[in-house]
Amino acid sequence: MADPRSRLLWTVISLVGFGLLWAGIAEMLQSRVLPGPGEVWEAFLYEQANGGYWQHMGATLARVTAAFLLSMLIGTAIGIALGRSDRADRFFGGWLTLFLNLPALVTMILCYVWFGLTEVAAIAAVAINKIPNVAATLREGTRALDRDLGEMAQVYRLSPVERLRHVILPQLAPFFAVAARNGLALVWKIVLVVELLGRSSGVGFQLHTYFQLFDVAAILAYAFGFILIVQIIELGVLGPWERHVTRWRR
Amino acid sequence: MTGFSVFIAEKLFGDQPILQNLEISLAEGEIACLLGPSGCGKTTLLSILAGLDPDYRGTFTHPDGPIAMAFQTPRLLPWRTLAQNIALVPGSGGESYARDLLARVGLDQAADQFPQKVSVGMQRRAALARVLAIRPVLILMDEPLVSLDADTARDMRELLLSTLIEARVATLIATHDRREALHLADRIVELGGQPARVIRNTASPLDRVQRRDAAQVEEAMAQMFGTPTIE
Repeated sequence: MADPRSRLLWTVISLVGFGLLWAGIAEMLQSRVLPGPGEVWEAFLYEQANGGYWQHMGATLARVTAAFLLSMLIGTAIGIALGRSDRADRFFGGWLTLFLNLPALVTMILCYVWFGLTEVAAIAAVAINKIPNVAATLREGTRALDRDLGEMAQVYRLSPVERLRHVILPQLAPFFAVAARNGLALVWKIVLVVELLGRSSGVGFQLHTYFQLFDVAAILAYAFGFILIVQIIELGVLGPWERHVTRWRR
Repeated sequence: MTGFSVFIAEKLFGDQPILQNLEISLAEGEIACLLGPSGCGKTTLLSILAGLDPDYRGTFTHPDGPIAMAFQTPRLLPWRTLAQNIALVPGSGGESYARDLLARVGLDQAADQFPQKVSVGMQRRAALARVLAIRPVLILMDEPLVSLDADTARDMRELLLSTLIEARVATLIATHDRREALHLADRIVELGGQPARVIRNTASPLDRVQRRDAAQVEEAMAQMFGTPTIE
């Protein structure tokens, strides 16, 4: 099973099985609210030709990228600061808990109310939802930093930049990977809601439109495109990056 | 002026004094062993000298140049190859010099390996190469031969001695092993008591050639420490 080719084969078999099951149930029910794979494919082709499928996908992707990068950057900085300073952690730890438990929808509504229905408000709302998660993960990573290597860096007079780059960040890489993976999953989902509430482009906006029209085939067409893109990023970017940073392990 | 001297009036752990009125000086190029039972404060003293522990009363004039420390564990960065680990040290002059140093400790074949993929003995040798890379004026070593099997420890000891003699840098080696001290040191500084202070500070009876000979070391053992079997 460890053989990647047999694993791939099993994934294909399992997905084809899912498709067949779905097609079977759709055929049996003959309902407008459960279209079969064929109808979804047609809806996809139609959307692509007339509905700006890729523009909406692109708009969502751009927001995801912006919110993701912003939250990773700010969350990492906060997490490292809290992990390094007990005093800062005692003071700001409570804030972190507060923001961790703040419902995503509340952040979105507040951002839109305070900053208007703008792009900045939308991206800020998503980032604010994600930052506490990144910060909490990186705080744990920073607390787990190896003191022995820190002493080594001090004795061998590594500059602060070298220490960060060669001693601290490599130790944080696994935590960073966890934060990125969870973060991407969360950001994808929240971006759609933000778009649904206050944007006039993006997959979320389209889902909202087709919800009002009760067009399930189009909704599924967007959903599958979405899943596909997330998987491409997962397998094509995060996976190889993780393998690269852990290549030194026994 | 290399060599160094240190005076520790008092070093506390909590409110428990562990070092008191302790004075050590080394001449230029002198190899000294800091001898004492495990847990007597040798590592603490090395940490103070390495600048890792500023919390003590006493005087230590930092020598005019870098101090290198070989820790009890090799402490190599696991995500960098041996050569990259050494090249990272300031003043090491980049990877080609790092490779020269690795060749000097017999690791030219392993330069591009990651530390976790080579043996502990090889990691120790890489750590020794890193000590040389910083071009130190004082070398501190904490139990450099501990947890190596007998053969590896003997090879490492030979390498250590020849490397240190060639480097001509004042060196302080912490060890609990009297035989090891006689094999390596020009001077033996023994710590004892609680809190620890210097209870013996003598030049070794063996010169740098004699101490390579096991029989002469045994003789010196008996002469300095009494019956050779007791350690």
